[in-house]
Amino acid sequence: MKKVFVSMSVAMVLVLSLLASGVMAAGDMAKVRVVHASPDAPAVDVYVNGELTLEDVPFKADSGYLDVPAGTHNVEVFAAGSEYAEGSAVLQADLTVEAGKAYTVAAANTVDSLEFVVAEDSMSVTEGKTKIRVGHLSPDAPAVDVGLIGGDAVFSGAEFPGITDYMELDAGTYDLEIRMPDGTQVLPLEGTELKADTVYSVFAVNTADSLEVLALVDYEGAASPDGMPTTGLGTPEQNQMNWVLVAGALAIVAAGSGVFLRKRFQN
Amino acid sequence: MQEDEVSERTEDVGFTTKQPQPAKTLEMTKTAPAENPINALSLNQGIQPETLSIPAIGIDAEVLPLGTEKDGRMAVPKTPDEVSWFEPGYLPGENGRAVIAGHVDAVAGPAIFWDLADLKAGDEIMVASGEKELKFKVYAMESVELDLADVKGIFGYRSTPELVLITCSGKFDYERGTREERLVVYAELINP
Repeated sequence: MKKVFVSMSVAMVLVLSLLASGVMAAGDMAKVRVVHASPDAPAVDVYVNGELTLEDVPFKADSGYLDVPAGTHNVEVFAAGSEYAEGSAVLQADLTVEAGKAYTVAAANTVDSLEFVVAEDSMSVTEGKTKIRVGHLSPDAPAVDVGLIGGDAVFSGAEFPGITDYMELDAGTYDLEIRMPDGTQVLPLEGTELKADTVYSVFAVNTADSLEVLALVDYEGAASPDGMPTTGLGTPEQNQMNWVLVAGALAIVAAGSGVFLRKRFQN
Repeated sequence: MQEDEVSERTEDVGFTTKQPQPAKTLEMTKTAPAENPINALSLNQGIQPETLSIPAIGIDAEVLPLGTEKDGRMAVPKTPDEVSWFEPGYLPGENGRAVIAGHVDAVAGPAIFWDLADLKAGDEIMVASGEKELKFKVYAMESVELDLADVKGIFGYRSTPELVLITCSGKFDYERGTREERLVVYAELINP
């Protein structure tokens, strides 16, 4: 079972001023999703490169994917409503994002030890399959396994603060549980429906005695073509010819009725 | 110098609305503790588009569900007055970009998307299937060189439902038999 955790210190990431310029299709944008996973922290405001980007984000909320230009961004977190002052954030990081990739940036741990947990998200899944990973974001909970009730572990030894690699599974309904390595159940997740062509992140959040699960969809699959459509049936000559004919016809009508020609036909 | 109206009209087209501004406010995920939070994820359901209407530029069109041509390009209708929805991709209303393409011109003159370049931020686009109608709002438009178009992005996943319209723009490339650019209009869903 793979349990490679994303190292926190390899922080990459983050966020943005959406759609910085008109170049969103030029392939130089990354996607970033922010999650508030600090159980005792108040709602927060997130500033990116000094600009208020997310406001009043409560515990357990996620931003959905935001478009961010590739590159390194200064991300600062403040208690909601605080006045912005450079350098006085409760949490700050320079996060680097690559074009075409997607990331989850979680503000985790307790408020006095706040830290970013960053992971690269998958934007693909084998057709007909489902993909899932788990994140351990409960600061005082021990290492846990996630597996089938009465069966094998799917993820073992997940520890705070870490996000596992993805596992690709057959789509379907699974009786899952979060459990201690000795088999003691921590949280039941019976009848979990994992849909085909869908990628999930399931984060355990809150304190150990109130452990709960935050489920997010990372990606829903669909096909794309190899090329743009060819969306013209004419050529300039034909159009030109046509304009001449149309203009001529209209001129005749106009001459007879005093109708004013629209500018488009006068070109 | 041949006059080429499509090329002139799309020469300086393109805009993008400042997207957040004001900053986004987030809501707490509401999940009753008893229910399985993974099953509680409500993925948006899409519709099979039958008609497309854009009141701002007087468009009402039938939508044909099509896939790709033999060479892999997105397929388009053979007729100038219909549009095609890329059926193997996202459904309108589903998270992700549903793509609809139409011709800008026909042998006999303007085609259905002749006036697409006149769209402005905030213009509404309606896609309907029977009684069910989805309303989208234009937020960006660009004219991209054919070889530089980020096809995966234009047809790609989003956390929310979007609609993308495509037609031809730019100068006519006689060697390739098509225009050099594609006009791409991006719109976001405004009704659930």
